[in-house]
Amino acid sequence: MAMTPNSASSSAAASGSADSSASRRNSKRPKYSKFTQQELPACKPILTPGWVILTFLVISVIFIPLGVVSLFASQDVVEIVDRYDNDCIPAPARANKVAYIQGDGDKSCIRNLTVPKLMKHPIYVYYQLENFYQNHRRYVKSRSDAQLRSVRDENQISACKPEDDANGQPIVPCGLIAWSLFNDTYTLTKDSQNLTGQNLTVNKNGIAWESDREHKFGKNVFPKNFQKGNLTGGGNLDVNKPLSEQEDLIVWMRTAALPTFRKLYGKIESDLQKGDVIHVNLKNNYNTYSFDGKKKLVLSTTSWLGGKNDFLGIAYLTVGGICFFLALAFTIMYLVKPRRLGDPTYLSWNRIPGGR
Amino acid sequence: MVRSGSFSVDSSASHRRTPSRTVTLGHIQPQAPSYRTVFCNDRDSNQPVRFKGNSISTTKYNVFTFLPKGLFEQFRRIANIYFLGISCLSMTPISPVSPITNVAPLSMVLLVSLIKEAFEDWKRFQNDMSINNSKVEILQDQQWVAIPWRKLQVGDVVKIKKDGFFPADILFLSSTNPDGICYVETANLDGETNLKIRKALERTWDYLLPEKASEFKGEIQCEQPNNSLYTFTGNLIVQKQTLPLSPDQLLLRGCSLRNTEYIVGAVVFTGHETKVMMNAMNAPSKRSTLEKKLDKLIITIFCVLVTMCLIGAIGCSIVTDREDYYLGLLQKPDWEYRNGFVIGFFTFFTLVTLFSSIIPISLYVSIEMIKFIQSTQFINRDLNMYHAETNTPASARTSNLNEELGQVEYIFSDKTGTLTRNLMEFFKCSIGGISYGCGVTEIERGIAERHGLKVQEEERSTGAIREKGFNFDDPRLMRGAWRNEPNPDLCKELFRCLAICHTVLPEGDESPEKIVYQAASPDEAALVTAAKNFGFFFYRRTPTMVYVRESHVEKMGKIQDVAYEILNVLEFNSTRKRQSVVCRFPDGRLVLYCKGADTVIFERLADGMDDIRKVTREHLEHFGSSGLRTLCLAYRDLNPETYDSWNEKFIQAKSALRDREKKLDEVNHYFLPIFFSINDLEENSRACNLINNDMKQFIISSETDAIREAEERGDQVEIARVIKEEVKKGLRKSLEEAQHSLHTVAGPKLALVIDGKCLMYALDPTLRVTLLSLSLNCTSVVCCRVSPLQKAQVTSLVRKGAKKITLSIGDGANDVSMIQAAHVGIGISGMEGMQAVMASDFAIAQFRFLTDLLLVHGRWSYLRICKVVMYFFYKNLTFTLTQFWFTFRTGFSGQRFYDDWFQSLYNVVFTALPVIVLGLFEKDVSASLSKRYPELYREGIRNSFFKWRVVAVWASSAVYQSLVCYLFVTASSFGAINSSGKIFGLWDVSTMVFTCLVIAVNVRILLMSNSITRWHYITVGGSILAWLVFAFIYCGITTPRDRNENVYFVIYVLMSTFYFYFTLLLVPIVSLLGDFIFQGVERWFFPYDYQIVQEIHRHESDASKADHLEIENELTPQEARSYAISQLPRELSKHTGFAFDSPGYESFFASQLGVYAPQKAWDVARRASMRSRPKVPKKK
Repeated sequence: MAMTPNSASSSAAASGSADSSASRRNSKRPKYSKFTQQELPACKPILTPGWVILTFLVISVIFIPLGVVSLFASQDVVEIVDRYDNDCIPAPARANKVAYIQGDGDKSCIRNLTVPKLMKHPIYVYYQLENFYQNHRRYVKSRSDAQLRSVRDENQISACKPEDDANGQPIVPCGLIAWSLFNDTYTLTKDSQNLTGQNLTVNKNGIAWESDREHKFGKNVFPKNFQKGNLTGGGNLDVNKPLSEQEDLIVWMRTAALPTFRKLYGKIESDLQKGDVIHVNLKNNYNTYSFDGKKKLVLSTTSWLGGKNDFLGIAYLTVGGICFFLALAFTIMYLVKPRRLGDPTYLSWNRIPGGR
Repeated sequence: MVRSGSFSVDSSASHRRTPSRTVTLGHIQPQAPSYRTVFCNDRDSNQPVRFKGNSISTTKYNVFTFLPKGLFEQFRRIANIYFLGISCLSMTPISPVSPITNVAPLSMVLLVSLIKEAFEDWKRFQNDMSINNSKVEILQDQQWVAIPWRKLQVGDVVKIKKDGFFPADILFLSSTNPDGICYVETANLDGETNLKIRKALERTWDYLLPEKASEFKGEIQCEQPNNSLYTFTGNLIVQKQTLPLSPDQLLLRGCSLRNTEYIVGAVVFTGHETKVMMNAMNAPSKRSTLEKKLDKLIITIFCVLVTMCLIGAIGCSIVTDREDYYLGLLQKPDWEYRNGFVIGFFTFFTLVTLFSSIIPISLYVSIEMIKFIQSTQFINRDLNMYHAETNTPASARTSNLNEELGQVEYIFSDKTGTLTRNLMEFFKCSIGGISYGCGVTEIERGIAERHGLKVQEEERSTGAIREKGFNFDDPRLMRGAWRNEPNPDLCKELFRCLAICHTVLPEGDESPEKIVYQAASPDEAALVTAAKNFGFFFYRRTPTMVYVRESHVEKMGKIQDVAYEILNVLEFNSTRKRQSVVCRFPDGRLVLYCKGADTVIFERLADGMDDIRKVTREHLEHFGSSGLRTLCLAYRDLNPETYDSWNEKFIQAKSALRDREKKLDEVNHYFLPIFFSINDLEENSRACNLINNDMKQFIISSETDAIREAEERGDQVEIARVIKEEVKKGLRKSLEEAQHSLHTVAGPKLALVIDGKCLMYALDPTLRVTLLSLSLNCTSVVCCRVSPLQKAQVTSLVRKGAKKITLSIGDGANDVSMIQAAHVGIGISGMEGMQAVMASDFAIAQFRFLTDLLLVHGRWSYLRICKVVMYFFYKNLTFTLTQFWFTFRTGFSGQRFYDDWFQSLYNVVFTALPVIVLGLFEKDVSASLSKRYPELYREGIRNSFFKWRVVAVWASSAVYQSLVCYLFVTASSFGAINSSGKIFGLWDVSTMVFTCLVIAVNVRILLMSNSITRWHYITVGGSILAWLVFAFIYCGITTPRDRNENVYFVIYVLMSTFYFYFTLLLVPIVSLLGDFIFQGVERWFFPYDYQIVQEIHRHESDASKADHLEIENELTPQEARSYAISQLPRELSKHTGFAFDSPGYESFFASQLGVYAPQKAWDVARRASMRSRPKVPKKK
């Protein structure tokens, strides 16, 4: 803090032309402004019981209808879930499932599902994996977006370890995510009242987000050296199809947030009637047995709000209900034992006598 | 005739040294052991010594050191170090986040700080340059040559012209004024604007013209450079003759020359060795208590962080399994996955990097910014604290302590001057045992009125003189009538003493009407004015002479000019508490005049006048209890021999290079002035009495019989022992009684009165604890007649002993130590110079502004900073906890939930501004209500807003909100989320959570604000908008680099679903609902005081302060004065003057306005200028 020399020079400099500005400079009276006097116009909300009750009421009035709407939307959805990971292993092989799944034999398996309710098209086919940590740190980072997008960047594989190259050649698509591509396949046939063995086509186009297809996966990037390493993690890719058309891969590579997740497998473009039986001929290729992961097949319709998920509806209803209840409780309390606003007896110095 | 013939020299005085106490006041450093020898006018001789040059640099950095040094300064903050460490960690492969997450906020914070530093330093540099290049004339080859200041060297002979600044510390040689004097203004040094005289040694008077000056070949031996502004010892050796030098001959750099055409001097100290530069160090920066508590909070957060990471690390080492083949653990087994312990170890650091955002990095920067604006814009510019009369606004000299002002528990106030505004009037006097002056002080009137007596308007004799500093009327003394009094000689000597014994400078015309007295303190001016009105008109001063126009001395009506030769002046200082002058009358008579505090004068009175002594003491007590400040004057005739022998010792002591002060003090012991008379000044203001007779008083005084007996016996050791015993007894007994009365309900308020002598013993380590616990039980403690050191000791006793927040307020140099010892020091920029202000943290113009400073600014500031800190804590915890919850579902792998940029900008962009607005504009109740309900201030003392309980509430709010945000979104996003059956990925979910979080956290600001301005809306809305805009842009671009574009297009995908809007409505409302319910319930059932006050006045619109100001200005001084007096309680205690008080804050502020603040008898210091505002709400 150099106080004097500074002021010395400045006042020395100023002394010459000081006279004119002397009177102005002399008054140190601060200028009035609402900001410096801390008088900015302000809203001063006081959380009075009235406001509290009103807020609760408003919330419940808005939330309960919304809850009903979203619950209805969710209830409209028809969903068939079938867990097959255990059942699709022949009884003798169940002692060592990993050996079975890693073995070479035919792993076909038939599942029969009955449609409980009319399902209007489109009907979405999902596979659901559980206890599969697609959000694991090592897993999530093991990919190269640059490589997926453009041929020029196919050597950008530093993030992909340990699935970065095979025999010195870069793998396209590299990384653990692509390497562990899900490869169970489902073929569906339908037995309805009058017809049996009807083939249900599963449309696999348009199952990935458009933005992924258009921008993240290149139209001229083709798989290279894929699954050529010592270990095979999952499914293989058609080397003649560009990545942007390999929608299974695109879906798989949008990694899931939680260890239990669904991924879109395909769409059925026809209605299913109540009582129809669906035979699913599936190839049980994917190894979730090493880590005790579950596999499920899901057929589901959607509403405008998405699939079957009551959470939003229930949450809205619960919160709305709680708010209504609270509003009621506060009102009763207010009537039974009112607290007068601004009651000076509540002031601490009036409450505690003899406070020093 | 009370002139004593006997003259006894205290022979023991020369042998007995006053026990040396090391007193550290200010930054005075011990003197360097050796001397400096300077050859004047001889650059070559000075060459070998290599004195420092005269160029100065006050910059902190230069071009090369700026980055390293500036960064070093920044990294002394522990939070920055922490983030640097985290940033380094995040460069390593174990990091789950890219370095940007931690580097971006850190560099943002550093950048802001460095820009500020650079800007300030640049300004300093420009200042230095302009100073270094200003011109000064030095003597070269018998001519004055102008050179820049920076080229000046030690030993140069320089010429400084009128109104010029001294470029270095200069030995004053000669001046164009007769008698070798010059006038200097030291405003830059100590802020005092009155002119000071400097006097050259007679030997050097002639070296004025260049031809003559070039002949000057002196050798200066003086002390090494030091920072003591008021001392200088040295000798000038001219032609083998040694002449002692004193501060009188030293012209300090930074001062300017006034009323003198030019002077010539020799440079002694240059550049950074000048006294002012050595003083220009930073005031020791105080840290506020709240900030220290904040450190504890940060440490707690850090512990939470470590716990979270430990949980994650243990979880990871258990969960990680090679059978999760898709994690690639089989094919190339990394060494880090070898066993559970290694995994846990690395995961720990991974998680530390991931959760680093729990430590609020921008907290310190934000708080600094808020406090800076608070002090520069709010405190410095508050019109309520602007004093129009003296044209002084309040000034916060540091912005560190704003919130400390809201938590002060004990106030230490200097009474004299501070409480009394230092407007002095000569009001009464007692001469030779007869009391003069018929004025009635307003305290007396107040007392009388309370007793029901009607005091008739004082009848003023016609033509009574009343001017500034003089309010005395007694026909017995005026217009020469004193000649007919019983003691005319005494009266005459009194008046002469008034006219001679002072350091006042007269200015302007030498006529009684037009003269202006330049005095260092207002009482001096009042006394000289009094002498003038008594007919002893002091009109001219030269360094050796004082000229007085005396009337009525020889006979009535005769006027004569008398010149008194001043032989020695012993200036006033706070340890001696007296000022003496030895003068020679034209007829050769030698007289010593002395004035000082009653204690020191009474000690030195000649024996044998016990009756007058007794009567005078009674008068003193009477004056004191009427609210007057007292001063005793004394004189003695000296015979030439006594004087000569004393003078010899005096000169010896003066020319000693070492210990000059001490030796001078010893010499002073030779004086035994003789009893004279007493003279009073009214403390023209809201004289304040902190004790009234409703209170139980404990008085510990050195006036007990036992002590008196011991004193009579005269054995110093014995006296000390007896006093100590007495003090011990007194303290113990008082403490017992105090504790007893505390147990009884509604006992009387307690007060402790202790005098300086006893205090010295009471502060002894053995008794200190007793004193402390007794004082803390008392409502007010008055310490009479204490030294500056004791003031500081008492302050630090309470500060350190009781761990309470203390505030010291004072206006004089004697308060400096106390101001520095307290948590908060406040200086009153009044009339006793600026030293108190220079040492203080806040400066205000009037004592009454303390109300605004504490009750309004302090309280608000405390409230604001608490809320800001709590909010920072909450928002970072909420954010980090969502991440933490997510970690549980990723196999504790430490996968980040949010995109790198989201995480790094969360703190510095998306939630940065609203909290600053909160810190600036938050108000619980308006300023006028703050003052009307001073009890609200207790919330700060109890630290209601920064208790661990509050922290816990915020923490649970953070846990709740993070759980809501995380669970609701993850649970509801399972499965298809639109009619085309598509599924969300990780980044869609996390962006959804982030959006909800940003909205909830920003809206939380509005929920916690008591006063929502449009800036709140703008910043809250702006922050949310900033997030959306950022997301739109950030999600819309792809970069060519090898970077995982996880969030590419995510926000657009999200916004294309109904789900997004349903969740966006639900989650923020639910997460805020918990806080809302808590606040509603808390307010309903356990309201804070401020909330009740808000409710009481909920219908009142905030009347503009501008109206309020006008009302205040309408109050004339008389009104204010009589109002203040009418508020004073009756007062009966006997004391005579000086006091040092430490009352509870209520004593000062208990406001007469507060309808619900119960009137308490002991609330005495009422604000004069505070008037009830009309309670009718204004309707617009």
